[in-house]
Amino acid sequence: MSPIWVWILKAVLIYGGVLTLAAGMTLAERKVAAWIQWRIGPNRVGPWGTLQPLADGLKFIFKEELVPEGANPVLFRLAPMLAAAPAMLAMAVIPFAGEITLFGVSTTLSIADIPISALYVVAIGGMGVYGVILGGWSSNSKYSLLGGLRASAQMVSYELSLILAMLSVVVLAGSLDLRAIVADQSGSIFQWNIGRQPLAFLLFVVATFAETNRHPFDFAECEPELVGGFHTEYSSMKFALFFLGEYCAMIVMASMTATLFLGGPEVPYWPEAPWFAQLAAFLAKTGFFLFLFLWVRWTLPRFRFDQLMHLGWKVMLPLALANVFVTGMVVSLS
Amino acid sequence: MVIVKRKELSLLERLYLPEIARALSYSFRALFKPKVTRQYPEEPLPKTAVMRGQPRLVLLEDNEHLACVSCGLCEVACPAYAITIDGGATERFIEREPVRFEIDMLRCILCGFCEEACPKDAIFMSDEVELADFSRAALVYDIEKLKRPKAALQARIDYFYGANDRWRKRSSTS
Repeated sequence: MSPIWVWILKAVLIYGGVLTLAAGMTLAERKVAAWIQWRIGPNRVGPWGTLQPLADGLKFIFKEELVPEGANPVLFRLAPMLAAAPAMLAMAVIPFAGEITLFGVSTTLSIADIPISALYVVAIGGMGVYGVILGGWSSNSKYSLLGGLRASAQMVSYELSLILAMLSVVVLAGSLDLRAIVADQSGSIFQWNIGRQPLAFLLFVVATFAETNRHPFDFAECEPELVGGFHTEYSSMKFALFFLGEYCAMIVMASMTATLFLGGPEVPYWPEAPWFAQLAAFLAKTGFFLFLFLWVRWTLPRFRFDQLMHLGWKVMLPLALANVFVTGMVVSLS
Repeated sequence: MVIVKRKELSLLERLYLPEIARALSYSFRALFKPKVTRQYPEEPLPKTAVMRGQPRLVLLEDNEHLACVSCGLCEVACPAYAITIDGGATERFIEREPVRFEIDMLRCILCGFCEEACPKDAIFMSDEVELADFSRAALVYDIEKLKRPKAALQARIDYFYGANDRWRKRSSTS
């Protein structure tokens, strides 16, 4: 066991990094949006607009906090925290890199290495729906309530496919430990689960889009129909917390995709890679999926709600079930 | 009643995924397209003489006196009542000149009626479009803010004569 200060240091560094990445994502979102639309995007604050998230954060802090009349005062304030906290908690078990030895202390680059870490991510990530539905319900507005209801229905439906897709990977590795799943994919690039479980990969990626309420499944904040969805009535830092939660959830989901299907911190054809190479590989893989979130957002139109439910229950769930079944058969027979 | 015949989608199209890949490749290529943004304050808008900017008063060749004789025709023509003129006597040949000539830029609708009404070619729509200040009072422009040397408005003046040559002659005093 590492001494306590190592844990604290790791937690501070990793959460600092994740929150910075989340702030960077807000800028990246606007930049990628701009580029895809042949625009330049924010470029006034700092060099190439790099300080824009800082300016946004400052502005959010100094904005007036409004609580609408008739809103449930406790839940209204609790909801943004409930939206942001689970996404950040799930970050704790993501294996960013393997063994790291600095100043004579050897540890692994993840906050917690627990034997059921895949289950933990799913369990904690599933709690994100509370923030959304409580935020929608407590603000005493029909649009918020509809947005919250839609979001929760969608998150619950797609969580099934998400977990089943994850399950086929877990079956292959024979463990719920993310480190074991990573170790199971080590070796060559053909050992990655994206090659061994292409259907599960596809289902997982689609489900992550729905889980994080991102385009093309962003019914939670469907602007033309619902004004702003569940966060219509929110202002100031409470509003920002919802977005922080969303971006953290995106980071968690992107890193989970990288971990489960692209070998996580594995560097292809370099099994003895040092920790910084592993971290770089992990960040590159995660970065690709983060970019995919933005890329898809500015490419595909939003689904209709019945199409979303149709896709979730009639297409993805049977496919995921069949995939788990076939995977289980193959693993148990071989 | 119109029955719209929709195209039957092929299996590949109904599978979504190939079409999504096609759309993604399109938007990925769009990332590297040349940008169409104009960085406005540094990179001003292209200006043409056809454009009606804010009205400005023309100075005579001596760059000191206005061409305006304070006849008040623009004041009458102004549909937004943005112009206020107080005339006064002058020793110069034209005998009258404005003592006060104010255009309330917050009322001005940039219609160009003042320019058309002016018999002395003393007021023209310039190419100036930027209008921002910290108080309303500061946006009521007086003579000092309105007067421009003739050269600054020459493009518009030439355009204006060209457009109105059929019924209009150059003013004798400007």
